[in-house]
Formats: sequence, C-alpha cells, structure tokens
Amino acid sequence: MDKKIKVLLVDDEPDFIQSMAFWLNSKGYETIVAYEGGKGIELVKKEKPDIIFLDFNMPAMDGIEALKKIREFDKEVPAIIISAYLDQKKIGKFEKHGVSGVFYKGEDFEKSLVLLESVLKRHKKR
Amino acid sequence: MDPLILSVYIVTALASLVVAAFLFYVSTKSYYRRSAKRKKEERERRRKMHAMRAGAGSLAIKNIVYDEIKEFVKSEEERKEISYTVSEVFKRELENQLNTKNKELTDKYKKIIEGKTYDEKQAIKKYKKILSAKKETDAVIRSVAQGLVVVDPDGKVVMMNPAAEKLLGDKKENKIGKSVLEGLKEEQLVSLSKDSQVGEEKEIEVFGSQEETKKILRASNAIIENKDGQTVGMVSVLSDITKQKELDQLKANFLSSVTHELRTPLIAMDKSISLLLGKQAGPVSQTQEQFLSIASRNLKRLTTLINDLLDVSKMEAGKMRVEFKPVLIEEVIDETIANLKDWAKTKSITIKKEVEKEIPKVDMDFDRIVQVLSNLIGNAIKFTPEEGKIVVGARLEGANLRVNVKDSGTGIPKENIENIFNKFYQGGGRSPTDINGTGLGLSIVKEIIKMHKGKVWAESKKGQGANFIFTLPAKT
Repeated sequence: MDKKIKVLLVDDEPDFIQSMAFWLNSKGYETIVAYEGGKGIELVKKEKPDIIFLDFNMPAMDGIEALKKIREFDKEVPAIIISAYLDQKKIGKFEKHGVSGVFYKGEDFEKSLVLLESVLKRHKKR
Repeated sequence: MDPLILSVYIVTALASLVVAAFLFYVSTKSYYRRSAKRKKEERERRRKMHAMRAGAGSLAIKNIVYDEIKEFVKSEEERKEISYTVSEVFKRELENQLNTKNKELTDKYKKIIEGKTYDEKQAIKKYKKILSAKKETDAVIRSVAQGLVVVDPDGKVVMMNPAAEKLLGDKKENKIGKSVLEGLKEEQLVSLSKDSQVGEEKEIEVFGSQEETKKILRASNAIIENKDGQTVGMVSVLSDITKQKELDQLKANFLSSVTHELRTPLIAMDKSISLLLGKQAGPVSQTQEQFLSIASRNLKRLTTLINDLLDVSKMEAGKMRVEFKPVLIEEVIDETIANLKDWAKTKSITIKKEVEKEIPKVDMDFDRIVQVLSNLIGNAIKFTPEEGKIVVGARLEGANLRVNVKDSGTGIPKENIENIFNKFYQGGGRSPTDINGTGLGLSIVKEIIKMHKGKVWAESKKGQGANFIFTLPAKT
C-alpha cells in the first residue's frame, strides 16, 4: 500500500471525533484532528490533507464558513460535512461551496468510509 | 181664607196635577206616533230638553208643559199651575238623577284614573328594570377582557366593546355602521370577514397604530339567529394570544435545541460502544460483548425517542419537510427489515416479505417512508409474542401503492382503533411484550403519510393480530 491517505477531522465535539479518528486509524487511514474551524484551516495549509471532514455546527466558526476560508487558498481538497442533524434545505446550499458529501453522525462509521472512498475516487478522476 | 175654599183649591190643584201628569204622559207616549210634520217640533223639543239638561232649569220645562197642555187645559191659571208643579217634580227628579249619574261617573273616572296610574307605575317600573338589565349587560360586555364585535348580516359593525377597540386599535365611533374590515390591513381581516367559517377559530395578526408591536388575535365566531332561525348577524370574540404564541414558539425552540443537544452526547456514546463491539479497540469477551450490546440497544432506543420528539416538534411547527424521489418500495422494505432484524431475532420473530412483482417506482421520501415502516414493523415486534410472525406486504391497488404490516400479536380492541394514531396514545389497550415507546410513533406515521397525500389505518380482530395499512398515490 502506498502512502497512507491523510484525513483531517474538524469538530468541536472531541468525544465524537476521537472515536471517528480511532476508527479511521483502524481502517488504515492517517488522521489529524482540529477542535475548531480556525485550527482546521491552519492544518489544511500545514498538513495538506487528502480529504477533510468538517462539522457543520461549531460555535466560533461553522463548517461552511471554515470551508469558504479554505477555498480561498485551496480549491481542490475534497470536503465532507458532518453533522448530528441536518435538514434538506441546508444541504441544498452546501453544493456551491464545494461540498462533496454529507455524513450524518448517527449513521454507522462504515457509511462514512463508503462516502470517503467514493469522493476520493471521483476526485482522482478529474 | 175659608177652609172650604182652601180645600177646594187643594183638591183642584192635586186633580190638575194628576191630569197634567196624565196628559204629559199621553203626549210623550204619542210621540212615536206623530206624523212627519211634527218631527221638526220634536227636534225642537229635544233641543229644549238638552237645553234643560244643560242647566236651563225648570223654566224650560214649565214652558214646554205649558205649551203642551194648551189644547186640554183652557184656563191659563190652571195651565200655569200645572206646568209649574210638573216642572218642580221634574226638577227634583232630574236633580236626583243627575246626582246619581254624577256620582257614578265620578266613581268610574276615579277607577279609570286609578287604573291608569297603576299601569303607568307598572310601565315605569318595567322600564327601569329593563334599563338596569341593559346597563348590567352593557357593563358586562364592556368589562369582558375579550374583544366583542357584533356585525350585521352585511358585515357592518353594530356593536363593539372597549376591549375590541383596544385589540383592533380603533374607536367604536369609527367602526359602527361600517364594515369591520374597513381600515384594517390585509393581514388582519381574514378572520373577521363575512365569509368566516362559523365555529372555527382563526388567528389574525394586527399591527397597532400607536405601538409598533404586532398582536396575534384569535377570533371565534358565532352566528346570531332570531326566533325564526334567520341570520341577523355574527358575534366575534377576539382574544389576544400574542403571549401564548410567544410561549409556543419558546417551547418549540426549547424542544428543538434540547433534542439537538441531547443527540450529540448520545452519538458519541454510541460510536464508542460500536468501536468496542467492532473489536477495533481490541478483543472483547463474550460477556463483555453481551453487556455492550445492551448498552448499544438502549442507546438506539433513546436516540429514536429523541428523534421522535424532534419530529413532533417539527410537525407542530409545520416545519417537517418531505423530499419526493421515485423509489422502489421493495428497497424501502428491505432497508427497514435489515435495520430491525436483529431486534426481531432476540424474540425469535420471523419477518416475511410479500411484495408483488413489477411494482413501478413511486414518488416518496425514502428516509421518511423507512421511518414509517420502522415504526410499523417496530410496533409489530413490540406487540408480538416470541416465535411470532410479521408479514410486510406491498401491492398496487388501483391508483395507489398499498403497503401493510401484519403481526400475529394480541390485536387492538375495537374501541381503541380510532385513537391509536393520536399523539401520546400508547398501545391501544395492548401491552407490549417488551419495551414501551413515547406514544409518538404512530402520530408521526400519520403525519408523514398525510404529507405524501396517502392514507393510513389499522384493522384488527382481538386475538388475531393487527394489520396496519398505508397507501401512497402511485403515478401510472
């Protein structure tokens, strides 16, 4: 297996994101974690992740705002929005910000993996 | 005078009186038999009689008698005597009669006046009573906290109380005789219009002229009918429900934020347990796995309950959304059964699928119909004893897709079958064989199916299980 895929996880809920990181590690991914948007942006610049998971609901800066800032310097890195609760109206607005997918926190981690792999596959083709 | 002569005189006088009286009697008696030419004289005589009655006195009578007896009594002296005596008798008699008549009349009028006075007193009394009753009613209407507006059949204001003035931000003087809608902004006139549904309660928003604050009023209307059942107007009772609406909103927001906040820790717990159960964090003994499974299952239950609460709060706020896409019902059924089969297995319940072949795709919200089926199949599992059987069927029926979930449980008593789709109604008299719910599941099912323009109902015979059916319109 070539170089490990680097996944950046940005979420203000450490209890959730640590489990997710642990799980992705167990599946052979490299993970880096940020607990707020600003730190996430910094890590994108510094660590150049292959894909980002961004929590939508964060207190200081929400996932979409953080993504807008990321897009200012990186238009390529695929981003998946994660949330405990999302309504369809909000999801509709994500596309124009270059969101590649949405993962609902209540779903099995398996689903996030399926999503992650399909997003990466699509991305490579371009 | 010689006594003899005196007595002769007296006798003569008396005799004359008798004769005169007799003659007078005859003359009166013959009155009706008189010929036409005498009618004139008769009228004259009547006039004289009237004059006499009117107080002309005995002179008139004396003259009349004197005239009348001319033919029979030749001596003038005698005639004078007779006429005098007769007139005196008459006078006395007349006076007597007059007095009696007078007394009678006085009594009569006295009685009438007394009666009139009594009637008048009664009328005043009645008037006062009505006036005070009216004042009382007016006072009651004035002091009622609710706004009261009475309109005639044309929608014109007949009456409104101060509370209504305050609520509508307008004076009575400006409204009476005008349509209640005049001067009101479009937003607020909906409910007060003539064609308002009677008995229905409507909410209207009013923007006050003085204060910029918005008011929300509830108007309940009732038709006023007269004795013959004709509509004579409508009365609207207005109450200010702004506070209540604010509280409702506060409640909805609270419920929504609480459920969101509750979900976050639940998800974190669920994920941690999944990691342990998935053995990513190292080997787990059989006993440890058993307890972790219990924790996981109950977390899922809790999550479902919270999701139900959230759905209900959305339903109440009218914020529940459905997104239609063409979907194969079999995929929905497969997904739902896959989610629930572990639970069914714990009770050794078999879930059988009976789906008609070649059912085309039907427009629906995939996730919401999964939720509906999860509720129905979940209920079936709850109310079916161990080793039971559940059948999930789907077929086309006319222009509809018909899906049903039939169980081999205890069934629902007839009297409860209508209520089971109501909020917080639990079990419909059945006792679940394992866990309880919130009593929200079926009310959510009903709402989701309603949003799909479908129907949902239950059929059951006691002891023969329950059958829940829903239909969705299928384009063919």
